[in-house]
Amino acid sequence: MNDRIARIAAPLAVGVLFLIGWETLVRLERLPPYVLPGPLLVAETLWRDGPSLLGSLLVTLRITLAALAAAILVGGALAILFAQSRLLEISLFPYAVILQVTPIVAIAPLIIIWLRDQVFLSLLVCAWIVAFFPIVANTTLGLNSADRNLVDLFRLYGASRWQTLRHLRLPSALPYFLAGVRISGGLALIGAVVAEFVAGTGGADTGLASRILEAGYRLQMARLFAALLLLAATGIAIFAALSFIARLLIGHWHESALPREE
Amino acid sequence: MSEGPIVALERVGKRFSTGVEALAGIDLAVAPGSFLSLLGPSGCGKSTLLRIIAGLAPPSAGSVRYGESGLARHLGFVFQEPTLMPWASVWENVYLPLRLAGERRERVAPRIAETLAALGLAGFERAYPRQLSGGMRMRVSIARALVTEPRLLLLDEPFAALDEFTRFRLNEDLLRLWQRHHWTVVFVTHSIFESVFLSSRIVVLTPRPGRILADLPVELPYPRDGALRTTPAYVEQCRRLSALLSEAMA
Repeated sequence: MNDRIARIAAPLAVGVLFLIGWETLVRLERLPPYVLPGPLLVAETLWRDGPSLLGSLLVTLRITLAALAAAILVGGALAILFAQSRLLEISLFPYAVILQVTPIVAIAPLIIIWLRDQVFLSLLVCAWIVAFFPIVANTTLGLNSADRNLVDLFRLYGASRWQTLRHLRLPSALPYFLAGVRISGGLALIGAVVAEFVAGTGGADTGLASRILEAGYRLQMARLFAALLLLAATGIAIFAALSFIARLLIGHWHESALPREE
Repeated sequence: MSEGPIVALERVGKRFSTGVEALAGIDLAVAPGSFLSLLGPSGCGKSTLLRIIAGLAPPSAGSVRYGESGLARHLGFVFQEPTLMPWASVWENVYLPLRLAGERRERVAPRIAETLAALGLAGFERAYPRQLSGGMRMRVSIARALVTEPRLLLLDEPFAALDEFTRFRLNEDLLRLWQRHHWTVVFVTHSIFESVFLSSRIVVLTPRPGRILADLPVELPYPRDGALRTTPAYVEQCRRLSALLSEAMA
């Protein structure tokens, strides 16, 4: 009980103190808003510009969710493929790693040039490259982590490859897969924003990254902060939603989702 | 006995790729309907021997012969740990071997209910393994092995991790079921008391590499029950076996 209050109250107190300190600093030092706007001004801007920013957020969100969906589909399929053949895994896995460690800002211009008429698709591909690796890596690990004795038991009962996958490897991999999806959700958002930064697209249907860039050029720092706030809130919402889905799927059996008895 | 052995091992040896020799020159014929215990200290290769009998590991020397064709499809195996699927309910865990054999749920539901009841699991069908005690989990594991009505049941120290009280209860339940059905059992254990209580025959293995040290019939009549443990004949059997073991291991 006390712990639950503290869990909410403690970070809240830190946040409030931080905001008070920030506002005080801005007022005492008379900092101009184009250097550092106070939190009150940011809140006011968010309230005023919210509706126009929300439209851009929707664009970013569409790219993020599409990239996450693609990461789940392709990442999951790759992992299952890897689990079927060790040779396939050792042949392809290094390339997945290369794709993962190459900075997206370096690849993004290429992708944007190659797909120059399809802005949405090029941003989607960039966000997907950032997001798919945790799902491949985690799910592959999960598929290979099935209980050795259960694997023997399936063998003893003459289970087919498909039966072993369906009834043993996939359920064993589910917690790993979901942990990967939770990481990828945040990465997809980051990927979508970074890609748009690089693309620097103008025009009507642009995402929050474009709003942030514009605000920066025009020294509208309060608007920039408001956009950042929206991005952060979106990231938290995605994480919370994915955690909720994970609990629904494995809450009844997996250690990670069970309450600890003291 | 006119029937041949249900499983026969000839000069079976096992050397792991690490070079460790786990078993050497094992000759063993298991008579149908017998309850055979493989008794020995930890690390004497008894679990390896059981895995070889089950066909889960190939012997590196010698041969394993099944007395009836298709026996490989009629094995039951119980591991040291319950080895249940944590995401599946008790019912689903017991249904697993039947499902893998392509049996439909409705058709085998009565059989599953009967098996669960025989192991004192009625009412726990929808529970998940996590919600059960160690003893109950082991009951589910045994139910899963028995639901296919195996002709040869292989148990690998199934009760080693349980407290003595639970262990006694499970020993008695297993004995009661075996006295009713008389499947052939090969039971791996390091407990003298457990092996004498349950078995019709005890094969004692030496430590690494495992060899057969003694092969003894247990001269206690069936049916047996928990009361056996306090009889002088039982105590005497345990004492003799224990003396034999300490003499050989010295």
